[in-house]
Amino acid sequence: MFSFRKKDTQTDKDVRSDRKKQNKQAGGNGLDLFDFSGDVAISVRDVDLYYGNFQALKKISMDIPKHQITAMIGPSGCGKSTLLKTLNRMNDLVEGCRVEGEIRIGDKNIYARDMDLSALRKNVGMVFQKPNPFPMSVYDNICYAPRTFGIHAKAALDEIVERSLRQAAMWDELKDRLNKSALGLSGGQQQRLCIARALAVQPEIILMDEPTSALDPISTGKIEELCLSLRDSVTIVIVTHNMQQAARIADKTAFFLLGEMVEYGDTEQIFSAPKDKRCEDYITGRFG
Amino acid sequence: MIKINKTKLQDAGAKYVFIVCACMSIIAVFGIIGYILYASIPAFRDIGVFNFLFGTLWNHGLEDSDKWDITQIYGILPMFVNSIIVTVMSVAIGGTIAVFTACFMVFWCPDKFHLRYAGKNKMIAKIVSWINQINLRAFFDQIIKLLAGIPSVIYGYFGLSVIVPILSSLNNGNTGLGILACSLVLAVMILPTVASLSKNALESVPQHYMEGALALGNTKAQAAFNVVLPAARSGVISALILGIGRAVGETMAVNMVSGGRALFPEGLFSYIRTLTTNIVMEMSEAGVGSTLESALFATGFVLLVLVLIINLSINLVPKEFKGKRGNKVLKGDAGAKIVFRKKGIVPEVLKYVAVACGAFIAFTLLYLIAFVLVSGIPHITWNFLFGESTLMSPTLLPSFISTGYTILIALAIALPFGVGAAIYLSEYSKPGSKVVSVIRTFIDTLAGIPSIIFGLFGYLLFATLLGGRCTLAGAFTMVLVILPTIIRSTEESLRAVPMSLREASYGLGAGKFRTIFKIVLPNAFAGIATATVLSIGRIVGESAALVYSAGMLRTTVPNALNPMNMAPTLTVFLYMCWAEPVAANPVTGAAEIGLNQAYATAVVLLVITFLLNLIVFFIEKSVKKKR
Repeated sequence: MFSFRKKDTQTDKDVRSDRKKQNKQAGGNGLDLFDFSGDVAISVRDVDLYYGNFQALKKISMDIPKHQITAMIGPSGCGKSTLLKTLNRMNDLVEGCRVEGEIRIGDKNIYARDMDLSALRKNVGMVFQKPNPFPMSVYDNICYAPRTFGIHAKAALDEIVERSLRQAAMWDELKDRLNKSALGLSGGQQQRLCIARALAVQPEIILMDEPTSALDPISTGKIEELCLSLRDSVTIVIVTHNMQQAARIADKTAFFLLGEMVEYGDTEQIFSAPKDKRCEDYITGRFG
Repeated sequence: MIKINKTKLQDAGAKYVFIVCACMSIIAVFGIIGYILYASIPAFRDIGVFNFLFGTLWNHGLEDSDKWDITQIYGILPMFVNSIIVTVMSVAIGGTIAVFTACFMVFWCPDKFHLRYAGKNKMIAKIVSWINQINLRAFFDQIIKLLAGIPSVIYGYFGLSVIVPILSSLNNGNTGLGILACSLVLAVMILPTVASLSKNALESVPQHYMEGALALGNTKAQAAFNVVLPAARSGVISALILGIGRAVGETMAVNMVSGGRALFPEGLFSYIRTLTTNIVMEMSEAGVGSTLESALFATGFVLLVLVLIINLSINLVPKEFKGKRGNKVLKGDAGAKIVFRKKGIVPEVLKYVAVACGAFIAFTLLYLIAFVLVSGIPHITWNFLFGESTLMSPTLLPSFISTGYTILIALAIALPFGVGAAIYLSEYSKPGSKVVSVIRTFIDTLAGIPSIIFGLFGYLLFATLLGGRCTLAGAFTMVLVILPTIIRSTEESLRAVPMSLREASYGLGAGKFRTIFKIVLPNAFAGIATATVLSIGRIVGESAALVYSAGMLRTTVPNALNPMNMAPTLTVFLYMCWAEPVAANPVTGAAEIGLNQAYATAVVLLVITFLLNLIVFFIEKSVKKKR
């Protein structure tokens, strides 16, 4: 007669209920359910997103190519960060958020009911606007995710730390301060450490949500260099306020306005010969 | 003619008045330490400090025996050890449950019930929809606050009537009193302190730690236990230390379930006596100026030092992670097998532990309330509440009178001093000032002193000055007990008054004095009202600080009307129902009458506690609405 109804939006439920099924599908570890052999890393189809009654994204469709840098630009409130967060389902944390349409990553619909969020986020890492290293040592920050994914052997962890730091071009800076608190690093270093932390579990895709907006120009330059050097091994999707940044590093650029994707194409084309008037106005600085 | 600038004079004078108020807590702390040390000197001198601290026998009554030397019969080592054991056990049990409960409240407590009812009965449907409207988070907050506000004597009765019988059945029908019973009762008592402080610590961890962990593929449980809880470490440890301080100093409830034997414990069901209960048990038998009395003050002094050390050790907890020592040299192996697996069953299990702890706390409180109500309500009669009180059949009327006196007198003194001190701390102090941090340390110290120590101090100073234990001496003692609460709550609300209001007042040419009294204080009214209500709650629930300052004596209404006479407050009356049950009616049995009276009194106290909590709830709600 009585029954408990749990909210469907919360994350843990899916993780728990379908763990066994996932394990079977993926030959044991439950994490490698994605197939990244194709050229398209992320495929967004007709996505509408609502916060309660407010529609924040309107019929977005785009293919994000593998091992390239794709930038999303547009004025504040245009929905670019919102779209980024749907790509690893961080928007699940937002109360009243509802997504319609389909997002396929590695040929899997990530909004399927049986999607394992741990597996998704392990493969789709994220770097936030504000650097958020944990209050732990540099070493423990990088080991954090590998440890939660079952790696405890010292040799393996050491290997991961060195590899991630080298990949993030921080090895020489940090190799002598691995035991120091990550909170003692400069803002730019913290942000690159967060990138290294995300790299530690070998993600296929890294989402960056305005990663340099809180940083000085020199740190910003370093992060841009880092993005370029990572391009061969990971797909990067970056949301930025800074149009020059998009022009400098992105292979592809998408322009958003009021929840719509106005234009999406090769960066060169977008910045030199935008097809849409609104995009041209924004890029030439007439608004925004 | 010299014209004196009135505003300037006011401002200059006011500042010194406020400084004096702020120094009250420093004077109080030094006064307490000094007086109790002074009173214990005869014991230290006659018995010897070493014999007193490390003697293993406590047996008063043998002073006059030829066989015993006075230096050999006042050793507190067993009681010291008992205090430590009981504290460790209670913090291990209660602290763990409390921290998990805090995790539950922060991470997993749903906003509302989501019960669905498919049947057709309209009544049930209405009740279900009513239950679904309860805001669960606020509900849990209130549960914790209510648990904190319930007088410790009621916990003692709860221990005696519920926990002890259960333990007794575990102990093959032998008594359930003793070390385990004390630990369990204390565990429940420190729960609210540790839980609410841990909750604050968890809530102050920035949201982006949680997000960062989730983005790395953690489940919420993994993020909660691996990142957020460690990030809140210093706050949680401080909460546990405060819990330890509370457990060491708790007196009345422990006394009721301890058994009272001053020996080392032999098992979980050994009768024990702790430092606090030693004082409360024997003080009534100690002659004025006797070695026993001094030895009891000395016990109090040892307890005081212990608690001060515990509470001051909070300052040693590092506020943030500073890194590990030494250099890490990596010995990576390029061939090391790196296979990521799904793991992390432990945090998922801990999540259920947290939910269970939350449910346990809710159940404990509801059970305690239901138990007291069911046991007490049948025995509440008009005559018991307001009838004429005689020594053979005492009623609550004298206790209502003396409780009222205590509240009025204590507040009349403590409020001006407390508000004055808060004004100094918030309006006159410069940020980072050394003086203020010293004053604050002393306020915290005063807040951490066990109430039995206040009782000893009140007995030594106020009862002596007033020519004996009396309601007035009890009220003076309570001033010191409630002072820290008033200062803190008021200061918080003063600081919440926007700076722009003060600037506007200065901009219109008002002086500091005028600004404080016309602008700042009226805007902080809610905070002062909250402080007042909390203080009333503290006074109503207090017993250990009153038994030897206000005294324990059943009395009549005319006697109680004079505050220079002894009269028990409600909680002290409740304690007396256990400590000195009335042997009035040989037909129905004395003990039974005592217990019935006790539960009826407990119901009255619970209702008062509940009402006070309700008032605070509504004041806070109205403040939130305004902002």
